[in-house]
Amino acid sequence: MLTTNIEILLVEDNKSDARLAIRALKKHNLANNLIHLIDGAQALDFIFGKGEYLGRNIENKPKVIFLDIKMPKVSGLEVLRVIKNDDRTKLIPVVMMTSSKEEKDILESHKLGVNSYVVKPVSFDNFSKSIAELGFYWLVVNNTPQ
Amino acid sequence: MENKNKSDQLIKATRELAFQNEEKEKRAAELIIADKELLFQTQEKGKRAAELVIADKELVFQTNEKGKRAAELIIANKELAFQNEEKEKRAAELIIANKELLFQNKEKEKRAAELIIANKELAFQNEEKEKRAAELIIANKELLFQNKEKEKRAAELIIANEELIFQNKEKEKRAAELIIANEELKKAEYHIVELNIGLEMKIVERTAQLEAVNKELESFSYSVSHDLRAPLRAINGFTQILVEDHLEQLDEDAKSVLDEIIENSQRMGELIDNLLEFSRIGKQNVSTVNVGMKELIESVITELRPQYPNRNIKTILNKIKNIKGDKNMIKQVFINLIGNAFKYTGKKDEAIIEIGSYQENKNCICYVKDNGAGFDMQYYDKLFGVFQRLHSSNEFEGTGVGLATIQRIITKHGGKVWAEAKVDEGACFYISFPNC
Repeated sequence: MLTTNIEILLVEDNKSDARLAIRALKKHNLANNLIHLIDGAQALDFIFGKGEYLGRNIENKPKVIFLDIKMPKVSGLEVLRVIKNDDRTKLIPVVMMTSSKEEKDILESHKLGVNSYVVKPVSFDNFSKSIAELGFYWLVVNNTPQ
Repeated sequence: MENKNKSDQLIKATRELAFQNEEKEKRAAELIIADKELLFQTQEKGKRAAELVIADKELVFQTNEKGKRAAELIIANKELAFQNEEKEKRAAELIIANKELLFQNKEKEKRAAELIIANKELAFQNEEKEKRAAELIIANKELLFQNKEKEKRAAELIIANEELIFQNKEKEKRAAELIIANEELKKAEYHIVELNIGLEMKIVERTAQLEAVNKELESFSYSVSHDLRAPLRAINGFTQILVEDHLEQLDEDAKSVLDEIIENSQRMGELIDNLLEFSRIGKQNVSTVNVGMKELIESVITELRPQYPNRNIKTILNKIKNIKGDKNMIKQVFINLIGNAFKYTGKKDEAIIEIGSYQENKNCICYVKDNGAGFDMQYYDKLFGVFQRLHSSNEFEGTGVGLATIQRIITKHGGKVWAEAKVDEGACFYISFPNC
């Protein structure tokens, strides 16, 4: 199970948004090694090899995490807090995705150390462009320290 | 004859002898007296001799004294000689002093001339003083008159004083009444305090309720923002995918239907965004700074102009005063106003947009004027309502939130917004900022 290197971890509860995001990334050849998880609890289990992902090699870290802010059970902000407070994971770039321009969410994300913050636009063209640009930046342009 | 002569002679001689005897007796008496006188004189001479001895002694003494005096006179003489020399010196000095006195005399003459002039001046002043004295006499009379008036006034004051004393008594009565009234008020106050406590409890309760409602509204707007946009994104996105990936399977009619869906979902997205912006402004606090209006308007025009690349638009920025307000909010106001002016002049060959300000009372009034489509003043009361539009979206696109947002912002600044327009001739929007 999951032997190849993961490139993108997409945590998104909305099926449609997930499908649109994956399609946008695919169109730009960025979705070859993409894992899609549907809530924050599952994301934490996956990242730290717990619960249903017990035994997963947690050294196999994604190059970037796309994290929806509003999710059932454990929210995106809580996942972000755990990731950024753990020495094993705090260097993984996290892109926060949200439908809202709520300033308190933006502020909180930046306080917790988010790497990018993107408001998902209604227009698919713009949405597709934003996701692809962020994916390209964090996978190709950016050099994350190992 | 001889005898007779002889007898005569003898008689004569006797008679002579008798006479001489008598004379000798007289002489003897006188000699006795003289002898006595001589005795007396001898005694006197004895006395005198004694006195002369004394006088002689005195003379010797005086002679000695004169010798002493002569010596003294020699000294005095020398002294006089010395004094003479001194007097000569003094005479020379006196000559010099005399010259000095002459010079001083001349000076005194000059001074005298000056004094004559001064005298004339004094004479003039005297005249003036006399005039003044005459005036003072008049003033004095006036004072006398005033004194009488004051006496009258004093009499009146005495009357007024009596009146005041009477009023004071009345006031004392009134004060006593007030004390009673005060006691009643205290009772009432106590009652009010009791009521207030009740009211405060109610206020706390209501505030809690309002806070709860407010939180509900906040979470509602959050849901609107987040949850309504997600399905819209899906509608828009999947329709777009249909158009992109399955175009060859669609006929023209189907494609135009899909375009409609895409367009409308986008429009709804804009509506939601504008609505959120509108409610966000309601929650925001105004952070007042000095806003440089010329720079702000210029930056708004620079931002908006590229949206209309093929239009002939002339923007005139007149004199505009700086105002105090929240810079971001004020910028939003002018983005909306100037954006509207750009939009509603879209059907004109040459759009003319004029921006400026003027002072009215204490208010600064900014205006944005255009020569665009204008609107019918009959519907003016709907102009600033949320989602209210005076043009159809076929004519001019829009969500109907822009002017409502402006009104909200300006109200928060304590100002007013109003407009004048004529259909097809243009509109002018005014914003007043207080105390600038």
